[in-house]
Amino acid sequence: MGETLFVQGNEAVGHGAMAAGCEAFFGYPITPQNEITEWFAREFPPQGKVFVQSQSEIASINMVFGAAATGVRCMTSTSSPGWSLMQEGMSMLSNAELPCVVVLVQRGGPGAGTTRHSQMDYNSATRGGGGGGYHDIVLAPASVQEQHDHVQLAFHLADKYRNPVIVLSDAILGQMAEPLEVKALNYNSLPAKEWAVRGRDHQSDGQRRLILPAQGFMPSKAYPNYLTFVNNLDQKFKEMRRTEVRFELQDVEDARVILVAFGSLARVCQGAMEMARGEGKKVGLVRPISLWPFPAQAIRKLARDGVKFLVVEDNLGQMLEDVESAIGESAPVHFLGMLARHEAREMGMIFPDRVLEEINKVY
Amino acid sequence: MPRGEIVIFDQHCKGCGYCAKFCARDCITHPSGRYSPQGYILPDFSAPDKCNACGICAWMCPDHAIDVYKLVEAEVAA
Amino acid sequence: MAVKKEKVAGGSDLWIRPEFAVIPSCPGCQEPVVGQLILEVVEEMGLDGEAIVVPGVGCTTFLPVIWNMDAVLTAHGRPCDVATAVKRVTKAPLVFTVQGDGDCFAIGAGPTVSAALRGENITVITMSNTNYGTTGGQMSPTTVTGQRTTTTPEGRGEMQGHPAHVPELLGGIKGVAYTARGAVNTPANLQKAKRYIKEAFQKQLDGAGFSLVEIIVACPPNWHYTPIDCLKFIDETLLAEFPLGEFKNVDRVEQPIPVPAQ
Repeated sequence: MGETLFVQGNEAVGHGAMAAGCEAFFGYPITPQNEITEWFAREFPPQGKVFVQSQSEIASINMVFGAAATGVRCMTSTSSPGWSLMQEGMSMLSNAELPCVVVLVQRGGPGAGTTRHSQMDYNSATRGGGGGGYHDIVLAPASVQEQHDHVQLAFHLADKYRNPVIVLSDAILGQMAEPLEVKALNYNSLPAKEWAVRGRDHQSDGQRRLILPAQGFMPSKAYPNYLTFVNNLDQKFKEMRRTEVRFELQDVEDARVILVAFGSLARVCQGAMEMARGEGKKVGLVRPISLWPFPAQAIRKLARDGVKFLVVEDNLGQMLEDVESAIGESAPVHFLGMLARHEAREMGMIFPDRVLEEINKVY
Repeated sequence: MPRGEIVIFDQHCKGCGYCAKFCARDCITHPSGRYSPQGYILPDFSAPDKCNACGICAWMCPDHAIDVYKLVEAEVAA
Repeated sequence: MAVKKEKVAGGSDLWIRPEFAVIPSCPGCQEPVVGQLILEVVEEMGLDGEAIVVPGVGCTTFLPVIWNMDAVLTAHGRPCDVATAVKRVTKAPLVFTVQGDGDCFAIGAGPTVSAALRGENITVITMSNTNYGTTGGQMSPTTVTGQRTTTTPEGRGEMQGHPAHVPELLGGIKGVAYTARGAVNTPANLQKAKRYIKEAFQKQLDGAGFSLVEIIVACPPNWHYTPIDCLKFIDETLLAEFPLGEFKNVDRVEQPIPVPAQ
């Protein structure tokens, strides 16, 4: 049994990274993720690990590019406006096939938005905001423990696919505190990073290594031309779709209304579900954990006759589109979004009783 | 007896003319009227006897199309 | 009597050159000349097996791609960010960028100045050809007043500000140990430029602090001069705007980033 702490979600990210053997962190101040940067500033230097506060989020993601190129596990964390600045870097990382982890603690958007919670980065995280049409696995924790666990899983998946992985949190998850069991999760071993840059004489075969965000443009042994490289990306993303879908089902077997929600809103929906069950209503919950690849098949299977879906998101409807395309015409899909927050100011939240009210409407 | 010698790699030369311009002893003339496989106008090592292997032509050559050798009289083994 | 031939000058063996491969540069472009100087210094320091070069995006990108040396290409303007991380993570003795004036002083101004402000133990080698070459000759930070480019058709004027003097600019930053500007328009300047590169690399080895060397290079196609006339343009116009020499040279900056003993 690992050590049990009572910490904020943001701090749990640090413990997870340490357990995963992260060697380098690069960050820039932005609310509501500052506790992450501050944790690394305290914990990494004494361990001889690299911590740099950069001059911008563009710098952070490019420092991650540099560290990842040398084969060490590395990461950054940011929030929505900083995430906007990282889009070019994310695209470059995908082309260069460099593994790394980005923890995105969402805040209100668009633009500077608010420093409070929201889920308005769903699309830019799952669709890729930079040029070129790449994909990143997106994990959506819904608790302090899951933030610690998902960061470790993210490092494994990043190395497995040589591609960035995003852990999508938000201001609520980051700032709230819950018990955390700190423990290193083990995954099957992965091949050594022969591709990494270390200095030619440190290479096992003495051959120079070249990391570049323009693979396919400059012919190489691995990719003699552009389409051989793009085909590699295609295979990689198909494999992720086949293998890395993760979700959680609660009480869906007999459900007439199935809630679909991720992250902090999944916690809200659990509350609503329990209240509805208390009133004798058959309500279930689907919680996507991998937002990309999205659990479309799993949701489609639940669309039996008489079942209705209620997507609950703290935005204006983004995951909604994935749910709608998964279900098609086979069942009605209702939506409860951020306009249902309990008050107009940015601290407003969608509370369980508001979700229950919507359940009763569609039931 | 010349103290130096240069080798020009025609396939690498792009006919910029720096070598001819900077050779202090005018050992190289450009244009030479000969063309490289890529169609660039080649220089000529036209006065080899004046070459003292100073190496400047190679320094200034952007395409590293020149190797310069110093010629040293080796004592014949007794 | 036998005649022994001893090679005294020529392309470095670190150039990866399949049989008929031409250096990927325009006729008369002097960037490969600077590339050669870098390779000669790295070889003389015995560091080609340890060095990690971090090229940006532009004409200079194509040089380190064909060097027998580990390299990390970056997004446009990002070498100083990437090199910061590479140096701090690997602690390799020599981590240096290879950039153009646009990559380093325009889009890369943030990363360059920030690395200098942090006193990163990296070396920046920037080749200034006064335009954006790979994209067809637009104005760049070192385009001089009155110089025509595809984006200053009437010549650079009061609407486009002034040519950038970055080596002088960075001198005032505490974390900067060395800045210099050289040229390769004459053999004498070429040898001085090589010395500036060696000096900058030595600063890095000594853990003295951030170092930057800017080198002016000819660009015939975008200056619309023959290679030989480009040299005249450098002599008469560019060197009048951009003085050559060392602008800062200290043995150690205050509280330098500690470098493990080599």
